[in-house]
Amino acid sequence: MAKILIVDDEEDVRIALQQVLERAGYEVSVAATGNEGLDLLNKERADLVITDVIMPGIDGITTARKIREKYRGTRIIVISGGGKAAPEPYEPDAISTRSYLASASSAGADRTLTKPFDRDELLRVVRSLLGES
Amino acid sequence: MARHLNTIPGRLVMMLLLIHALLMPPLFYAISGTVESTMKDIFIDKLRNVAQIFVDRFDTLEPEASEQRIVELLDSAILSGQGRYAAVDIGGRTVTSSLMTAEDAALFREDFAFGENGDDVYYLSLPVSGLAAPAVLKLGYDESPIHEDLDGIRRTLIYVLSAYLLLTLLVAGLVSITVISPLRWLQSASRAISSGDVDRELRPDSRLAEIVALSDDLERMRRNLVGINERLRNEIAEREQAEADRHRLEEQAHHNQRLRSLGTLAGGVAHEFNNVLQPMVLYLDLALEDLPPDSPIAKNLARVQELAGRAKGLSQQILTFSRQDSNPRFVTRSIAPVAEEAITMIRALLPATLDLRVDISSECSPVRCVPEQIQQVLVNLCNNAYQALADDSGHVWVSLREVPVSEQLAGGHPNLETGPHVVLEVRDTGKGMDADTLERIFEPFFTTQEVGKGTGLGLSVVHGIVKRHDGEIVVESEPGKGTRFRIFLPPAGHDERS
Repeated sequence: MAKILIVDDEEDVRIALQQVLERAGYEVSVAATGNEGLDLLNKERADLVITDVIMPGIDGITTARKIREKYRGTRIIVISGGGKAAPEPYEPDAISTRSYLASASSAGADRTLTKPFDRDELLRVVRSLLGES
Repeated sequence: MARHLNTIPGRLVMMLLLIHALLMPPLFYAISGTVESTMKDIFIDKLRNVAQIFVDRFDTLEPEASEQRIVELLDSAILSGQGRYAAVDIGGRTVTSSLMTAEDAALFREDFAFGENGDDVYYLSLPVSGLAAPAVLKLGYDESPIHEDLDGIRRTLIYVLSAYLLLTLLVAGLVSITVISPLRWLQSASRAISSGDVDRELRPDSRLAEIVALSDDLERMRRNLVGINERLRNEIAEREQAEADRHRLEEQAHHNQRLRSLGTLAGGVAHEFNNVLQPMVLYLDLALEDLPPDSPIAKNLARVQELAGRAKGLSQQILTFSRQDSNPRFVTRSIAPVAEEAITMIRALLPATLDLRVDISSECSPVRCVPEQIQQVLVNLCNNAYQALADDSGHVWVSLREVPVSEQLAGGHPNLETGPHVVLEVRDTGKGMDADTLERIFEPFFTTQEVGKGTGLGLSVVHGIVKRHDGEIVVESEPGKGTRFRIFLPPAGHDERS
């Protein structure tokens, strides 16, 4: 049974993702911040981490990089809301999603998904990363 | 009268008149006086000579000359020339000539005065010897001929002087006109200049040195004025141009600024929106999984799913709009395959009932473009065209061709140059737009769709894309007839404009 860790500061996102993945047969744990996620990974390894980009504390890209450094085998999906996402107040110079996504790859993320994705899309990507048909 | 006096001829004539008024009388009197005294002298000399002759004759008389002899002598004195009186006083007795009139006889005076005493007779008294006793010969001669001559001379003098005066005045008048006419000309020339008519060259007819010098100066001044005017005009035109340019740039900067802020805001909103949509979408998936497909709840939730899908589309459009300033990747390739791909997408997106006619030429020059953006443009325009058709009747026509742009067409659009362009055209036979709508279609958030349908962002994004491709978008529309969008893209290798 593959283990999946969800890191996102929105409660509804965590709940919804958890339900979808559990129904699909995965073991799911959740964290609200990057650091919380890293702590959880310390205690129990995960096969796949799904992390949001914009969060309080360390952002998703940094989280992904840390995970990649420590846990070679863990797959990482970075999900993003798109747009010139930046913590409030919105700054005109904030980097765009594309460069976020580009840095996501260079930070070690295996895939990126743009919200809102539906269940089918999510499961497709998860299955392909975990080597399942 | 005073007005006339204050002119050059007036003054000249006045002065001449004054001078002559002062000089003429003395001149006249001097001349006539001289003539008079000369004539008088001559007359008197002549008379004395004549008198002396008679004195000599008396002197040569015998002492016992008879009275008759004396009278004869006296008579001959009168006869010899204009004599009026001849008498001799001999020792208290006066012998008079027999030819004298009684009144003449009474008039004798010892006057030796010419012209005086009003009698016109010049009397002389001369002592005579050779008679019985000391005698005095008294003769009187008519002055009147002399006086008449003198009068004649004076008259002639007056005529001459008058004629001289008139001639002088006439000549003065003529001379002053010689001076005046170029002056008048100069005056009208300088009036012309002062009223702004500086384009006629100044050239006087006069050869008077002062006039020529003055008109040379005036001409030089005129040329300066023309030069100054020209410079001023140029400067004003330059300033106005610079002002217009500055204004235009400012407007453009403002516009860009507004778009950018809008974009930032929109991006932020879209981001949050997506975060909200994400769990919604997943919850819907989960709920639908738990329900039998034909249950009413499931049907309703399925509609909600559709709506969520639309919301996602909306959010993506907003995101695209907000991403306008990011760096797109340009490639140089023919647009034909790009357009074909877009058409495929469009046929999938729009109902099959749509009559979509396509004419894509494969012989267009390559264009420096962002293919995804070109496709976005096509999708958007076709979608709009479809929306404009009423009841799915009518057709939408898409074409891609290389077309030379004429001077006439370029003239109507400031950003369009002449020469070959790759033209993407989307035409529909739908309801068209009126002039007011046409003016505003590229504004962000301007939409003619009802609330809930359409975001109003599509065309502003399209416009942005076309501009960033160095192209121009031209719209023509007539209410009830249809609309035609044409996008002109410069072929790759065309000179970059900043």
